[in-house]
Amino acid sequence: MSTWRQFARGLRVLTNRSRSDQDVTDEVQHYLEQTTAAYIERGFSPDEALRSARLELGGVTNVREQVRGYGWENVVDTTLADLRYAARRLRAAPAFTAVVVLTLGVAIGANSAIFSVVDGVLLRPLPYPHADRLLMVWEGDRNSGTTREDASVPDYYDLSNGNHSFTAVGAFEEQPLTLTEAGAEPVRLVAGTVTRNVLQILGVAPRLGRGFTAAEDTPGGARVAMLGEQIWRTRFGGDRAVIGHVIRLDDQPYTVVGVIPEAVAFPSEHTDLWVPLQQGPTTTPRYTHKVKVIGRLRPGVTAKAAQLDVREIAQRLEAAYPANKGRGMTVEPISTVLFAAVRPSLLVLLGAVGLVLLVACANVANLLLARAMVRQREVAVRTALGATTGRLARQFFTESLLLTLAAAVVGLVLSALGLRLLLAMAPADLPRAGNVGINATVLGFTLVVAIAVSFGFGLVPTFSALKLDLQHILRTGGRTGSADPYHRRLREALVIAEIALAVVLVVGAGLVVRSFWTLRQVDPGFTAQNVLHASLELPPARYPQSYDIYPRWTRIAGFYDQVTQRVETIPGVRSVAFASNGPLDPGITNSFTIEGREVEAARGQAEISTRLVSPGYFVTIGLPLLRGRLLSNTDNADAPMVAVINATAARQYFPHQNPIGHRLNFWGQWREIVGIVGDERFHGLTEAAPAAVYTPLQQTPAASVTLLARTTGDPALAIGAVRRAVENVGGELALFDVGTIQQALSGSIARQRFTMLLLGVFAGVATALALLGVYGVLSYTVAQRSGEMGIRMALGAADGDIVRLIFRRGAALVVAGLCIGLAAALAGSRVLAHLLFSIGTTDAATYAVASVVIAGAALGASYLPARRAAGIDPAVALRREY
Amino acid sequence: MDEPNTDVIQGTLDMLILKTLSLQPMHGYGIARRVEQISRGVFKINPGSLLTALQRLERAGWLDAEWRQTENSRRAKFYSLTRTGRKQLGVETDEWTRRAAAVARLLKSEG
Repeated sequence: MSTWRQFARGLRVLTNRSRSDQDVTDEVQHYLEQTTAAYIERGFSPDEALRSARLELGGVTNVREQVRGYGWENVVDTTLADLRYAARRLRAAPAFTAVVVLTLGVAIGANSAIFSVVDGVLLRPLPYPHADRLLMVWEGDRNSGTTREDASVPDYYDLSNGNHSFTAVGAFEEQPLTLTEAGAEPVRLVAGTVTRNVLQILGVAPRLGRGFTAAEDTPGGARVAMLGEQIWRTRFGGDRAVIGHVIRLDDQPYTVVGVIPEAVAFPSEHTDLWVPLQQGPTTTPRYTHKVKVIGRLRPGVTAKAAQLDVREIAQRLEAAYPANKGRGMTVEPISTVLFAAVRPSLLVLLGAVGLVLLVACANVANLLLARAMVRQREVAVRTALGATTGRLARQFFTESLLLTLAAAVVGLVLSALGLRLLLAMAPADLPRAGNVGINATVLGFTLVVAIAVSFGFGLVPTFSALKLDLQHILRTGGRTGSADPYHRRLREALVIAEIALAVVLVVGAGLVVRSFWTLRQVDPGFTAQNVLHASLELPPARYPQSYDIYPRWTRIAGFYDQVTQRVETIPGVRSVAFASNGPLDPGITNSFTIEGREVEAARGQAEISTRLVSPGYFVTIGLPLLRGRLLSNTDNADAPMVAVINATAARQYFPHQNPIGHRLNFWGQWREIVGIVGDERFHGLTEAAPAAVYTPLQQTPAASVTLLARTTGDPALAIGAVRRAVENVGGELALFDVGTIQQALSGSIARQRFTMLLLGVFAGVATALALLGVYGVLSYTVAQRSGEMGIRMALGAADGDIVRLIFRRGAALVVAGLCIGLAAALAGSRVLAHLLFSIGTTDAATYAVASVVIAGAALGASYLPARRAAGIDPAVALRREY
Repeated sequence: MDEPNTDVIQGTLDMLILKTLSLQPMHGYGIARRVEQISRGVFKINPGSLLTALQRLERAGWLDAEWRQTENSRRAKFYSLTRTGRKQLGVETDEWTRRAAAVARLLKSEG
């Protein structure tokens, strides 16, 4: 079989159809003539000969069509003809086409948009080779139940040397560093402080230059840095000569030795550069937990084996060191770490938007059925003329494909626009948000969805055509008056499905809304209004912070005092404070002991959240004093060491005693408890407040702090003045992370808000579509049964009776849909469990409200056609029917 | 035209056409008559099937087609065998002979 000849011949036909047709006609004609001549030779008369010849051929037209119909070009021809025909029919019904394309377009667009987000955030593989072999190793505290704790540096070294499961284990933390350049504003960068093997563990090569050497990653080693590709391009012009360049970070010179590829984004997307960790097995105490640990599994070793391995190591450490009492170790794949927070919400949203698409499809299917009814006559005629079901089906599929492809184009345009909006609304901590966009995968997804949908739609009129009673239709002219129970049942079934889906979405949205509402009502423990926050880092060069003179960091203490005084004088500022971490920042935890309970401590040391604060902290953020006294200015480095604990700590550790006067020990120092303050929620609104201790900054100074200021009016207005005050005292200091506590609070529940808004929109759209469906199907019923209504009215039925008749039909649909929907919602709401805060998935109130809302709306939608039924003029109705 | 007859020899229609044309170029009607003649009326080819088959064989490259003028200045399409067509004829003949022999053996074994 010569493919080329096949192709060429077909092409020749396509390009000159009339010529090819003529050829076929001529050939068949010639055959006919020869046959006729043969008959004449046998003695037939010319007429008889021609007739016999025609009979022998079996019909000239038939033969011609048979010959003409051979070849691939005919498939192309019919497809093109189908397309032209479909386009013509759709143009002839602009309202129908517009409604369908818009409904589907919006639904498909929404699906594409959500899928883009899911694809960019979740589906795209991580930029590290064999990322599934990368595990985080967390420490956990059995006593306080925490599981994702940082490790201490000595623990890291023991893990690194003693494990059997990893090819390499690295440690890292994040710290801010201020970059100062001559003639430019100081800028705060986020640095990843990493052990030198992190590059190898991740499996990436530097974009430029090299990683850190062993000599550089030792205590006291040379100050070197690797720039992130992003800042290399923006701040250093992408110049390859940056290697060897010296930059000033925190007033210290650092030599650039390499550039990290952009995709690496480690430890986080905000990381601007890397510096070596420069720690050793004994440089920091075992009770200071400050590093995170990451390891790459050895080939052939499973995560489970690694889990057992690290657990054993933790047990050994626990037996050997008192500082490790109660500390276990666990492993977790990094993908879980990165996505665990957002995966449930995104998947729920994807499911929900899929349901919206189903509702839209049901609506469109109903419209198609209605249209199929109208086209009954056309279909009947075509069938009578010889069209096979297959041919008709192809025609219908072409039409529905055209519709859905048009809808898909509209949808993609909408989703491109909508994505921008979506990303703007999305929570700031959405990982890999930069990956989200309309790319090839999304286009492919949209195409697949469109084709699947069109396939479903093509089936609708096809089945409708199969059920036609040809004779009846041709005789009566295809009036829709012929009550076709099959169609009615199908349309009603579709509407019931729509209602059920809408119920599921409304229940889901309702649960999420209620959950969000409850979340918003949670008391954070502090007063969030009118407090501004700004963070800063005091560079060691100008503000000595060495441990030999700790806690007498006089220059730092002086800085806090002066800035506090200046800021207090700003009009509108009511109180000022400094804190190692502001509200909603969990900060650090420390192991501690209570005086007199050292024996207990030997069994398992607990961790307590620690905040280092200036005396004004409690007033500034509104933490009430419950007992004893607050910290004051007299609690300085020369005075006795004191601390204030929160209500949870008092409850947990001094259940039936007065904690005032007791002493606790951390960081090798005994401190007397002088007061109890109210709880503040350290880990956001969703988690209860942990046990916490507050110590005065004068006694436990920190160089990295957050400034807090309570104002009488809008705190944002005071920011400029605060900056100036800091500048006046401290000179060149970068203020970062500036905002109001209210914003931070709002931001902390951004993800829940986002999910709620989207689910609400989806539920609303689905309900609207379902209502349209109810209205549509009842109007259809009324039109269909207008004759029957006419008879009833002629026989004496009152308006009310007619209304009730139709209304009951509507109610039946609504009840059916409601029952199915509620059952489905009960079964399916389990998927929401992760997203809900203090609301169960079977919260009765939500289900009740959802039912009432949908039932009410749907019944309202039924009322209009019912009223219209009552308005029928019986005379007209009867005449129309017969 | 005898539908059942042609259907039975569906697979062999190609072979019959190729064989007929191996002797001389012919138009469709001529081929039909020749086959009918030589097979003594056993094979009556349906015109529609024949003309479609001729198209198919032409596209496959086994036949060449050429328009010629007839006596009453009409056009007639004449087909001739190509070199590859001749080869194909050989292939199909061998195949047919093999099959026929096998059937003959089967029939004989039963008797």
